[in-house]
Amino acid sequence: MLQLQNVHTYYGNIHALKGISLEINQGEIVTLIGSNGAGKSTTLRTISGITPPRTGQVLFEGKPLNSVPAHKIVSQGISQSPEGRRIFANLTVRENLEMGAFTRNNKSEIASDMDRVFELFPRLKERVAQRGGTLSGGEQQMLAIGRALMSRPRLLLLDEPSMGLAPVLVDLIFEIIQNINSQGTTILVVEQNALMALGIAHRAYVLQTGAIVKAGDAATLREDEDVQKAYLGME
Amino acid sequence: MPNTQRYVKTGGIGFAVGAFFLWNYPNLGIGAALLGGLVIAALCLLYSAPLPDMIKAGLIAGMFGAVMTIVYGTDKPGVAIIAGMLSGLGAGLLVFQRSPQANPKKAAILGAEAGAIAGAWTALALLLTAFVIAPAAGVDAGEFAEHLSETVIFADALGLGSDILILLFAFAFSTLSAAILGAAACAARSLPLRPNIPLLAVIALPVLLIPLIDRAGNLLLLDALIPIYIFILLALGLNIVVGYAGLLDLGYAAFFAIGAYTTAMLSSPHLGINLSFWLVIWVAAAVAAIAGLTLGAPTLPLRGDYLAIVTLGFGEIVPILFRSLGGGPPSGTLTLRFFGMPIGIEQVDLTGGNKGINPISPPHLPFIGDFEPSNKIPWYYLLIVIMGLAIFFINRLRDSRQGRAWMAMREDELAADAMGINVVRTKLLAFSMGAMFSGFGGAFYGAFIGAIFPSSFDFSVSIILLCMVILGGLGNMTGVIIGGLLIQGADKMFIPKGAELFRDIANERASATGSSTVGVSALQDLTQQRLLLFGIVLVVMMLVRPEGLLPNERRKAELHPDDDTINSNSVAAEAESDPSLAA
Ligand SMILES: Nc1ncnc2c1ncn2[C@@H]1O[C@H](COP(=O)(O)OP(=O)(O)OP(=O)(O)O)[C@@H](O)[C@H]1O
Ligand SMILES: [Mg+2]
Repeated sequence: MLQLQNVHTYYGNIHALKGISLEINQGEIVTLIGSNGAGKSTTLRTISGITPPRTGQVLFEGKPLNSVPAHKIVSQGISQSPEGRRIFANLTVRENLEMGAFTRNNKSEIASDMDRVFELFPRLKERVAQRGGTLSGGEQQMLAIGRALMSRPRLLLLDEPSMGLAPVLVDLIFEIIQNINSQGTTILVVEQNALMALGIAHRAYVLQTGAIVKAGDAATLREDEDVQKAYLGME
Repeated sequence: MPNTQRYVKTGGIGFAVGAFFLWNYPNLGIGAALLGGLVIAALCLLYSAPLPDMIKAGLIAGMFGAVMTIVYGTDKPGVAIIAGMLSGLGAGLLVFQRSPQANPKKAAILGAEAGAIAGAWTALALLLTAFVIAPAAGVDAGEFAEHLSETVIFADALGLGSDILILLFAFAFSTLSAAILGAAACAARSLPLRPNIPLLAVIALPVLLIPLIDRAGNLLLLDALIPIYIFILLALGLNIVVGYAGLLDLGYAAFFAIGAYTTAMLSSPHLGINLSFWLVIWVAAAVAAIAGLTLGAPTLPLRGDYLAIVTLGFGEIVPILFRSLGGGPPSGTLTLRFFGMPIGIEQVDLTGGNKGINPISPPHLPFIGDFEPSNKIPWYYLLIVIMGLAIFFINRLRDSRQGRAWMAMREDELAADAMGINVVRTKLLAFSMGAMFSGFGGAFYGAFIGAIFPSSFDFSVSIILLCMVILGGLGNMTGVIIGGLLIQGADKMFIPKGAELFRDIANERASATGSSTVGVSALQDLTQQRLLLFGIVLVVMMLVRPEGLLPNERRKAELHPDDDTINSNSVAAEAESDPSLAA
């Protein structure tokens, strides 16, 4: 479904992605793990057009995305819940979700998708009229994911959905991610919490200073000694 | 607020105002200054006192009617009729703002009470003018009686021979019309309609009646009202850029200038092009919109302070450009060198330089003919039509996808991008839409004044417009209109007229005591201190109520995060009880 072929991305002179190649198949959950500054967020930003690659190819369903501007990527079927959530703090929950559906016009479809988001996150339904900025961290994360779902993406990019959440909530969020995936959305999830991410993903890539150092089955990587040492905190 | 603190504060404000007047008008005497200060302090106390909302709303709205009556009253006591109607309308709207009613009947009663208080308050000011202020300003009883019978409408028709009868009639008329308008406004606001046509009709009624009352009483208010309305139109355009899209524009007057100059160049004998106003106004709006794009494109990556500085520069450059594009010796030759080769360009006087362009052709309509400078009524109604369309259009724009894109962009540009919003287009559209409305404003202004000068578009215009937007409440159209009425009303009606009145009183006192009036105070002219006054108002607003008088809900939330829990709970409760919100 999505292919990155030898992608190089720069921030000015900073070479952040040094030839990344990866592939995501229809219906999968793929996770990208790695330490701070490895380039995980940059990879997601490259896919969603915010920091386009300098060289290399990004292909979505066979079509190149390299020169598609960020705001047009959404209507191609990819949406992102960005790092730090970036919900609209002064808009209500409902308005935030409506913003997520900005590129769409069909009102009844939007309404039914909103219902679907409320089914996934009943907490949001209780708070439709509350301002985004006053939600708790966990609720904000739910809103960010819900907002990304409102564009009906075929590929959903999640950047650190568990960041700053209590363990119970982390479990809940990951459960919901699996739930979304089982309803047919392909997911690429970036995580610090490698253990959890490897637990729900089908496949995984390990990123280190801008390059992929390991790839494979999530279950296999979880047993991998290097991975356990570096990212799972096991000796 | 504990009582002592309240007394100290209000007393302080009163004392400051009294001192201000004493400084400006030493001839008024300490007694007058103290009295003025006491009145202000009493009003502040009333405002913060635990009184029923309807009394407060009536007093606040009535205060504007009262001030208007006092400053105009010695020459034109009939102004009390219009002032009473407007303050009644204001009271009705204000009382609903303070205590919303669901039941139209109850709302009507409440509005009638508030309106009657406002109207009576205004009418009291008329009595005060008749018996205290007019004599103090040197208008003798006979003269005042003449003004009275000339300017109070219906007085002749009703055959009211004596002055006392006319005064009583004006009192009753002002109170009654204020009560009726207040009741109608408050009741209309309680109707759950969207758009609320009855409310619009109630507001439109006095607005449409003003020229007729003005003509009947020969009040000449339209001379001040039309420029006020033009500035409100401009402020509405600026509100798109600053309020909706969150782009701080300090050079907005440039677009006003561009609209006015386009009109002047295309419909005056100056360049020999004399197109119809009805065509030119569209051209002016289009040119202004294109200028908006021209400013928007290079400033795309800029935000906040940086954008403010660039727009400030733009606002300075445009009038200078108009100044230097003309006014040279007629048909002189400008020699440029292009790679060393001299090229002679015949210099065309495009803009008339400092002298500006004069005259500009007025609009022409069948039956009415050319709009005459002496008859302001067609101008007034034309402007009302333009403003009505602008308000309608901006309202639609705000509720459209475009409006939501502006909102998202103002909140978080990157997140907006990630939602699929084209930020570049959204920004450019904000600039060009905002500029377009000042293009309409500029075209009307040029034709109305009949001449334009580069000095009419300097920095202070941009700043006053920004004050209007901020005072009323960024991002809220009603707020901007109210802010505009207050600031422009002060600028074009209350301050100049009030200064005139004070001068008359001071002169009268001086001649009574036989002292000289020359050189009493260099600052005697209040009008010279208007910018100082606006500055003070802005500073006080920023301290006391940074979200503006009638804030956009979101801005309020941004500026008062502590109130959030209360607010959001009540909103959530509302949403639960209102199925249309939750659906
Ligand atoms: N806007 C930027 N300008 C310059 N350098 C940047 C920028 N954003 C990221 N970088 C650099 O690019 C590299 C990769 O950053 P990225 O945000 O992708 O890391 P990450 O893997 O998401 O880390 P984390 O887990 O901390 O979020 C880092 O070295 C970072 O300093
Ligand atoms: Mg990151």
